[in-house]
Amino acid sequence: MGGGRDVLWRTVRGQRRDVLVGSLLGACHQAGEVAVPVLIGVVIDEAVGPGDLTALLTWLAVLAAVYVALSMSFRYGARAGERAAEQAGHELRLQIVRRVLDPRGGAEHGRLPGALATIATEDAKRVGAVNMAAMMGIGALAGVLVGAVVLLRISLPLGLLVLLGTPLLLFAGHLLSKPLERRSEAEQERAAHASGVAADLVSGLRVLKGIGAEVPAVDRYRRTSRESLAATLRAARAEAWQYGMVLALTGGFIAIVALIGGRLALQGDITLGQLVSAVGLALFLLGPLEVFSWVNAELAQGRASATRIADVLNAPTAIVAGTGSDGLFEADTPPHPDPRSVRADRSSHPNGGPPEADAAPGPHGDGRSAMAGVGSDRAHLGSFPRPVRGELRLRSVRCDGLALDLHVSPGEVLGVVATDPAYATVLVRCLGRHVDPEAGVIELDGVPFTDVDPAELRTRILVAEHDADLFEGTLRGNVAASEPMLDRVLVAAGVDEVARGLPLGVDTPLIERGRSLSGGQRQRVALARALAADRQVLVLHDPTTAVDTVTEARIADGLREIRQGRTTIVVTTSPALLAVTDRVVLLNDGRVADAAPHAELVRRNTVYRAAVLS
Amino acid sequence: MTREPLDSGSPERELLPTATPARTRAAVLELLRPHRGLAVGGFAVMVGATAIGLLTQPLLGHIVDLVASRSAVDSLTVPVVLLVIVAVVQGGATGLGLSLIARLGETALARLRERFVGRALRLPLEQVEKAGSGDLTARVTADVSQVAEAMRTALPELARSVLVIVLTMVALAVVDWRFLLAALLAVPIQAYTARWYVRNAVPLYARQRVAGGAQQQQLLESIGGAATVRAFRMEDEHVTRVTERSRRAVDLTMRGVWLVLRFYSRLHVAEYLGLAAVLVAGFLMVRGGLTSIGTATAAALYFHGLFGPVNTALVLIDDAQSAAASLARLVGVIDQPEPAPRTAEVTASPEEAVAVAGLAHAYEPGRPVLHGIDLSIGQGERVALVGASGAGKTTLARLIAGVHVPAEGSVRLGAGERVAMITQDVHVFAGSLADDLRLARPDATDEDVRDALSRVDALTWAETLPEGLDTIVGEGGHRLTATQVQQVALARLILTGAPIAVLDEATAEAGSAGARVLEKAIDQAIEGRTALIVAHRLSQAVTTDRVVVMDDGRIVQTGHHTDLHTADGPYATLWKTWTGHRPTDSPTACDTDPAEAHGPADPLLLPRSAGSPEPSDPSAVSESPDRRDN
Repeated sequence: MGGGRDVLWRTVRGQRRDVLVGSLLGACHQAGEVAVPVLIGVVIDEAVGPGDLTALLTWLAVLAAVYVALSMSFRYGARAGERAAEQAGHELRLQIVRRVLDPRGGAEHGRLPGALATIATEDAKRVGAVNMAAMMGIGALAGVLVGAVVLLRISLPLGLLVLLGTPLLLFAGHLLSKPLERRSEAEQERAAHASGVAADLVSGLRVLKGIGAEVPAVDRYRRTSRESLAATLRAARAEAWQYGMVLALTGGFIAIVALIGGRLALQGDITLGQLVSAVGLALFLLGPLEVFSWVNAELAQGRASATRIADVLNAPTAIVAGTGSDGLFEADTPPHPDPRSVRADRSSHPNGGPPEADAAPGPHGDGRSAMAGVGSDRAHLGSFPRPVRGELRLRSVRCDGLALDLHVSPGEVLGVVATDPAYATVLVRCLGRHVDPEAGVIELDGVPFTDVDPAELRTRILVAEHDADLFEGTLRGNVAASEPMLDRVLVAAGVDEVARGLPLGVDTPLIERGRSLSGGQRQRVALARALAADRQVLVLHDPTTAVDTVTEARIADGLREIRQGRTTIVVTTSPALLAVTDRVVLLNDGRVADAAPHAELVRRNTVYRAAVLS
Repeated sequence: MTREPLDSGSPERELLPTATPARTRAAVLELLRPHRGLAVGGFAVMVGATAIGLLTQPLLGHIVDLVASRSAVDSLTVPVVLLVIVAVVQGGATGLGLSLIARLGETALARLRERFVGRALRLPLEQVEKAGSGDLTARVTADVSQVAEAMRTALPELARSVLVIVLTMVALAVVDWRFLLAALLAVPIQAYTARWYVRNAVPLYARQRVAGGAQQQQLLESIGGAATVRAFRMEDEHVTRVTERSRRAVDLTMRGVWLVLRFYSRLHVAEYLGLAAVLVAGFLMVRGGLTSIGTATAAALYFHGLFGPVNTALVLIDDAQSAAASLARLVGVIDQPEPAPRTAEVTASPEEAVAVAGLAHAYEPGRPVLHGIDLSIGQGERVALVGASGAGKTTLARLIAGVHVPAEGSVRLGAGERVAMITQDVHVFAGSLADDLRLARPDATDEDVRDALSRVDALTWAETLPEGLDTIVGEGGHRLTATQVQQVALARLILTGAPIAVLDEATAEAGSAGARVLEKAIDQAIEGRTALIVAHRLSQAVTTDRVVVMDDGRIVQTGHHTDLHTADGPYATLWKTWTGHRPTDSPTACDTDPAEAHGPADPLLLPRSAGSPEPSDPSAVSESPDRRDN
């Protein structure tokens, strides 16, 4: 409960100095803006009317002073406000990234990367902007109050007319535009659709060309564009008339102010200059009052964004971090593999909600310490005997239909063939601790996975997934091998050939997450990176599916050689890779069906033969 | 916003063309020409509306004069009623004018983007690839929306502000030319400020966009690759990277904010000077009896009323500038000449579906990837193209499919033949699954669509989607697996009805198990068609009529699998390596393959020696640019 509100509150409090400074200066600026029309009236009254040069010079000097004050306070106030907004957005962005990268995972559950990136940019910005909105709101409030005081001092009836009339006017405009707004929003969305369709067609350009579907695609786009045009036109027309209506209402209101003011002036209740000031103020006050409705909208958006951010920050972790620990590294949020149970649990939190300081577990709490703390004092957690031998044991592991007992000796190169690829994926996910098994234990050198901090575990065992991502940087940077190791790793993974075909060799920057490489080249670079990490246990999942046969055979040999003496599990159906393993385990229906060297299985097991060689 | 970081990789990127300013202007006029009446009408109404609105100040001035001359209270009625009439007419005319202008702008915009997309989708793929995939995407998203945004908000506002400024100046002159003179004192400062602002803002905003794009890119990378980041313990590194990118974006934003704030400070100076000058002029003229207090008031109010429009107009200058730059990029693509249609030359015999003669190709001068290829594919024949990476398979396939124009030699198709190609580049088009498939044949019936899906074994899963074939797939929709995506591609291939199918490693991205499903689907999809299959899984080669082995841009061996895999030669080497480089594996490897048996396999428990079969020529497996195409 209140996750979003909490995020909002921390956002404002975190930048309270800038927000405070911004609000004070914003108020000064608004007061200055009020003073300008008032001073115009005073100049007319005191100088132009009586023809008094001294008065003219005096009041022009006052006007100059007011201008300096309003200009400076605007300049520094707005800067403080924007700084507060940007800084808060920046901090939220980092909190989100830390939470997503937390070794225990879970934040990506049910969210696409694009959506998470949008939360980290757009939503973080929106929440940060609440600081600016707060500052603007306070400034506008000051403007209205100063304006009100001035007006009421000029004349009570005229002041009341303006003070009650302006909000009424805005409200009327708001009321008139409400239905239009709603319609226009829906239609703007339809309009945005057209640009989405165009981008989509362009990114599928190769596919379109391959099947010669350019013409149908253009026709489809033209239809979407026409629909979107019709929608946009309706929206634009509505907006135009709304604008015209507001203009007419404002003009009518000024006429009323002029009428009442004129009568008061003729009756001698107010001076000529005061009439001018009142008309000027009536026009001016529309500004700060409009700011209020803008602030309102900003706050509403900020709240919605804050809720989305809180959901990410409070997302339950996918696995437990070291249950055997005594609280040094306790999980702030219990793991919930089932997303449906998340809400129920959060509302049933013992204190009706976590205390403020650790309400968002990701950011400063666990997320960071989980990363920073690795390698330091881990005495409370289960830890590995040194040196790590790399013995892996799966005891009665049950996970998503997989039922497995398996022993991998230190230094063994084991092949795993699954007749159903889904089980291969489940096994890989369990070994990488994306999930913990529903039952059973996975042990590394006799220590159960769940007793160990996942970050610590991953310094011993590396699970290189089939669709591993490359990152921005050079090829060399991606592989990240120490200098003496680099050449060996590159050769073993067949990356030496890849590098030879690139303009700058291993120093070629990889752009768009390695999309500048072909699928096979990407796979080889990813494999080289996995080998370079040089972990005691390495799990490879389908590492060569996009690599040609000749290269694959070379890679198989290289892999065997470079992993000498260290445990390696290759989950694959590639015969070339399986041929270099010591032993292959065949999983049929999620259970071990057979285990023997590759050649033997090929000879005697028809299921295996079908899985590997057909 | 991914426009900028894309060209960092390759120095030799040839971006798509950008139109000259003159050509851009001409293109805009061309777009507006059919709507001349609308343009003139809209503009006239807006001028009228603004002019009427400017009657407010003299009317207020008149009221001030009436008060100053102590007229009767009733005398206020006429100017007040006039004020109301002015307000209503101004509101109505503005509404009308704005909607006319919006209609003009939006219609022109729609035509612009339709012409752009129409042209963009028919650009030669080679040209798009040379420019980098990001260039066209950036134009179709960022540039189109930049122009649209300007058309929708910046331009009307700019036009309105300019009209108010110009007409207010006229009104000031009508009141008394001396007031105009006083007001013009502010202009030099404003002009200087605007120039200063644009000079600083344009490069700064360009850098901001770059930084924003880089930040977005980094976030997508770190978040999208979270599993990899965790597996490799790169959390700290990635948090640092995000921090740097975000910090940079924030710093640049703050610099932009500071620039705008300094811009406003300078405008405040101009405001003050102008206002003081108008007040002094009023003072002097009233004292000299040249004008009334009311007129002086009107002049001061006029000037006060200019603050808003002037600021708006000046701020919008750089929006208008970047919209113009975007427009030039759109027009640059629209102006591209139509690509030459595929040569109409047909093969000599009706039995021959594809005839390739003396074909040579190079992506870059001096780096040929194909040399003197001759190949003839018969009607209904299935040909597998195999060889190491970089042998030129993909290039040959693309030349046959007509994606590239050959540098030398010719590719001829049989009369009435068409080629459809599927590669490992896949895409699911956003929209319903049925609509996606209908891109291949717009008039396909539901029956056709289901039939195509069922032939690639995809109907079962397609029907279990949340809304069956109407389920929204692609970007933002239901996510399909790599295998399903490729099945959809095959179903499209069936729907095109093209007699010739080219499949370039269509199973590569699906993983090993998916590949098997796809191989079956491919088999069914190409039934009754002439097919050229680029395969790295040699099991695909086994079932074809003919295997063509390529090495280093040449065809080195052709024949049927049964003959080739036992004969001495490059194919036999490939086959051995594919089956796990034990010659002994092949007998039992494939049931379709009644080859002779050898002795039992070596014990495989020992580490492998380096002496296993290797490709004889190391250059045979070197990468060439055709493998870098995605």
